[in-house]
Amino acid sequence: MNVEAIVQKINSEIKDKVQEVSVTAPLRINIKVDRGQLLAVLQYLKDQFGFTHMATVSGLDLGEQFEVIYHMANNLATINVRILTPRSDPRIPSTCSVIPGAILYERELQDMFGLVVENIPDPRPLLLADDWPAGEYPLRKDWHFNRPAEIIPGGK
Amino acid sequence: MEFKVSLGPQHPALHEPISLRMTLDGEIIRDADLKLGYNHRGIEKLAESRTYIQNLYLTERICGICSFSHQTCYTQGVEKLMELVPAKRGLYIRTLVCELERVHSHLLWLGVAGQEAGFESFFMYTWRDREVVMDILDTISGNRVHYSMNTFGGVRRDIDELQKKRILDSLSLLRSRTEYYLHIGANEPTFVGRLAGVGMLSKEKAIALCAVGPTLRASGVPMDVRKDDPYAVYDEIPFEVCTADSCDVLGRAVVRVKELMQSYNIIEFLLKNLPAGPIKVKAPRKVKENEVFSRYEAPRGENVHYIKSNGSDKPERLKVRAPTLANYPATIAMLKNGFIADIPLIFAAIDPCICCAERLVQLDNPRNGESKVITFSQLRAMANQRYKNVNFKKKESLWPF
Repeated sequence: MNVEAIVQKINSEIKDKVQEVSVTAPLRINIKVDRGQLLAVLQYLKDQFGFTHMATVSGLDLGEQFEVIYHMANNLATINVRILTPRSDPRIPSTCSVIPGAILYERELQDMFGLVVENIPDPRPLLLADDWPAGEYPLRKDWHFNRPAEIIPGGK
Repeated sequence: MEFKVSLGPQHPALHEPISLRMTLDGEIIRDADLKLGYNHRGIEKLAESRTYIQNLYLTERICGICSFSHQTCYTQGVEKLMELVPAKRGLYIRTLVCELERVHSHLLWLGVAGQEAGFESFFMYTWRDREVVMDILDTISGNRVHYSMNTFGGVRRDIDELQKKRILDSLSLLRSRTEYYLHIGANEPTFVGRLAGVGMLSKEKAIALCAVGPTLRASGVPMDVRKDDPYAVYDEIPFEVCTADSCDVLGRAVVRVKELMQSYNIIEFLLKNLPAGPIKVKAPRKVKENEVFSRYEAPRGENVHYIKSNGSDKPERLKVRAPTLANYPATIAMLKNGFIADIPLIFAAIDPCICCAERLVQLDNPRNGESKVITFSQLRAMANQRYKNVNFKKKESLWPF
C-alpha cells in the first residue's frame, strides 16, 4: 500500500471525520481533524493501516490558537494528524487510550504550552523545575526569558 | 510489605541526572517512576532566537554521543525547507560519518553492558577498539566529539585517497574484533547467563509503548528509519535490518553487534563508491514559510526533528525528540517485576546504585512491616547525641590541634 492508496482510503471511508487530507512531501501525509474526532481518527489509522508508532507530539503557538500535531509513523508513510485548540480554552483529549506510549509527550505539552490534556493517566509535571512558577509556559510565544541580574557576593 | 527506594538525581554512579523511584517488594520491583528535567536546557526555545546556521551548532550540542545524529536530522530537514538538493559526494561523506558514529556508539554501549554484567575485560576490549573509530573520526573531521561536518547543501570537509586507505585498513581490524565479540557473546556461558531473560519487553508492549531503535528491534519488530523512510543515500546502499526475537538484554546486545557488522559493510560500500564532484552547494540564508518533519535513525533509535519556518532566517519552531525519551515508557515496563540487581543492566548506560536507599524510613520489623519515619532534624539530633557519647581519644593520645 502506498501513500496515494492511504489517502484514497481515508477520503472514501472517514470523509465525515477529517477536514482536509493532503500529501505535502514524499511519504508525508497531513490530516486536519476536529479535536473531538481525534481519538476516532487515530484508532482508525491504527486499525486500518497499522499506524501504531507515535513518533512525537509537537505543539505550536499560532497566537489566537494552539496547533497540536501527532506524528504517526510506520513503514508505509508518516501521517501528521493536526488539531487546533483555542487559546482561551486549551483542552485536548488524551490519546493514551489508543497509543499508550504517548504519555510523556502529552505531559511535555502540559508543561511547555499549558494545554489541558483531558483524561491523561498521569498529569504530573515532567520537565520543568520543582519551583517553576505556576501559569508560566516557556514555549508560548509571549513568554520571554529575562536573565536575573547577577549578584556578586561581596561585590559593589 | 512494600517500601520505596529513590535513586538520583545526583549520584556518583549515575552518568546523567535522572531520578528513579521504585516501589519494592523484597527484591522485586513492583513499580517504577521516572522524574526527568534535571538537565533541561531550553534548547527548543533558544533555537527560535538563532539563525539556521547558528542552530547547526546548537543542535549538535544536544548530545555528546550522537551529536552528528541531531545535526544531520536538523540539516536534512532545513535542506528540504530550502528546497535544496545537496551535493552527491557530500551526502556520501555525511552517510559515512553517520555510520562511523553508529560504530563508536555501539562499541561504547557494548563496553558499558559488559561492565554492568561484571565482565570487565570485555569493557576494556571494546573501549580500546572504540579508539580506532574515534581516530578515524578525528582524521576525517579533526574532532572526536562534535564533528561539525554538516552544512546546508553538503558537508564542510572532503576526504582524500590517503584517508580512504587508512579508514579501510582500520575497518578490517574492527571487523575481526567484532567477529570475536560475536563469538564471545554467543559462547561465554557467564555472559549469556547474566544477560538472558533480563529486562523482558514483549513485542506487543514494545509496539504499544512506542519504543525505538535496538530496543524495539530486539523485540522482533524490524523498524528502521533507514529502510522505512530513506534519507541521505541509504536507498542506494544494500544492508539488512537486524532483529532478535529474545526480547531481553541479550537480544539487544546481539542486535547491536549485528548492526556493527552491517555498518562496516556500509562504510566499505560508501568508500568504494564515493562519487567525484563538489562536496556542497550554496544555500540561501532565508527560508520560505513551510514545515518539515525529519526522521533519522540514530544509534539509539529513531530521532525526530520538526521544523517550522516563517520566511525569515530564524525558525519559528524547532521540536526535538531524542530516542531516549521514546524509550522511557518501555524502560519502566522492563523494570517492573524485575530484580533490583538487574536495574543497572536494564538501565545500562545510566547505572544507578542501590546502596543509596532512602534514609528517612527506618524499617523496624520486616515481618509485620512497622516502620518509623525520622525527620532530618531528628536524625541530626541522634547523630549529635551519638558523637557526644563516643570518646574519640585513644587511651593516652592527645589530639594534635
